[in-house]
Amino acid sequence: MDATETAAVLARARQGDSEAFRVLVERHSRSVFRLAFRMTGNEQDAEDVVQEAFLRAYKQLGRFESRANFGTWLYRIVANCSVDMMRAKHARHDMTRSESLDEAIELPAHDAPGPERLAQSAEIQARVRAALDGLSPLERAAFTLRHHEGRSIDEISRTLGLGTSAAKHSVFRAVKKLRVALAPMQAAAGRTG
Amino acid sequence: MTRHISEDDLTLYYYGEGRRRAAVERHLQACEACASLYRSIAGTLAMVTAPDVPERGDQYGLEIWQRIRHKLPEQVSGFGWFDGFARFAEVTRFVGFAAAAAVLVVAAFVAGRTSRQPAPASDVARLENPSNPSNPSNLANPANPANPANPSNVGRQRILLTSVADHLERSERVLTDIMNAPDVTPAGKGDISAEQAWAEDLLTAGRLYRQDAVEAGEQSVAGVLDDLERNLLEIVHSPSKISAADLEQIRRRIDAAALLFKVRVMSDELRRREAAPADRATPRTPSSTSSSSKVS
Repeated sequence: MDATETAAVLARARQGDSEAFRVLVERHSRSVFRLAFRMTGNEQDAEDVVQEAFLRAYKQLGRFESRANFGTWLYRIVANCSVDMMRAKHARHDMTRSESLDEAIELPAHDAPGPERLAQSAEIQARVRAALDGLSPLERAAFTLRHHEGRSIDEISRTLGLGTSAAKHSVFRAVKKLRVALAPMQAAAGRTG
Repeated sequence: MTRHISEDDLTLYYYGEGRRRAAVERHLQACEACASLYRSIAGTLAMVTAPDVPERGDQYGLEIWQRIRHKLPEQVSGFGWFDGFARFAEVTRFVGFAAAAAVLVVAAFVAGRTSRQPAPASDVARLENPSNPSNPSNLANPANPANPANPSNVGRQRILLTSVADHLERSERVLTDIMNAPDVTPAGKGDISAEQAWAEDLLTAGRLYRQDAVEAGEQSVAGVLDDLERNLLEIVHSPSKISAADLEQIRRRIDAAALLFKVRVMSDELRRREAAPADRATPRTPSSTSSSSKVS
């Protein structure tokens, strides 16, 4: 679909043409899912974010500026839907989450994985996932955008609607927490390396 | 003696950001302590590889469409007049948007009040019978401008709901920034100049929205905007290089007023009403305001 066609589809969608919106949904669903999965780290949550993001986009189409890039606009909606989803999830499971995080951080030295287990990348990834789950929704979102999506601090700030300082410090806090949570893994890696 | 580089600056360096990159690089070559810290940060971050995203087939877009098509709300159309305004707002960016939106709301209200045409002679006769249901002066008649169902009121109300909800969301971000700003050491000073500039812009628009809310009978909205205004004022009037004590005082006031909670609840409430059918988005009189919508 070239730029002219895209503009025409967008114009029709903004006028309430649901078939035109269907074209946009079909075109962007896979990339929306990829971002949602990276942000939430959970397949079912990502599916929910995809649906919610498109519903939100449809409601807000009237506010979309026709000269803007639809993909960029949708990207912001998906990122913010993901944060909202994680917030809701954290609110429901706050106690459980903080307990599991404490366990991850205060792992006794003798429980640190040995070289054999360390060699299993699945084990490492499980630890990384647990560490990421220990971040606050905003920290996780800012970190994912910086680390996995390669977005600059300024872009993260615009995407999440934060001040630059808040975006930067969300990334810093995330990195600090990850360092604490993954320290045993790194120490073991140092011993084997 | 050379100062060491902070963990935060090393994190920025790892991601290819931050100023003084050349200086950091030189320092890392000369300072073993910082080089070791950098290796530790890089080692941790290297462990965090991108997760394998489950595959989605070519028909995935169609599946999503089938799942959401019945949930699509009725599109709020008629934004044509809004396009020109939006283009203007793009030029003036955020500040222009907030202020211009507020002016637009005021203009809509003023226009509604001043553009009433003189009644034709045949209508004048009907004015003499206030009990006549078709009498425009009868409050039950939707043609009466005082009737919440009057189309011009509904349109203006929707503009107000959207504008205030946007304003509250932007305000929430400033407040969140203040609450999450890095702690200042007792001897040091924090910098809140960016948040102050943002708060100052929001103040201007917020005052206009509050007046509009009062005129529209939206007492709960006006109450939250009033609380918000007082706290934004305090942020604006604090020193840009703020002490730990002053920052803590601002935070305590925000906490004490449960301001973030009120702003979020009101913002959600307005978004719900914005999405609701026209008859449910009409102005709320004090008697029709549900207790659940009162957050002040």
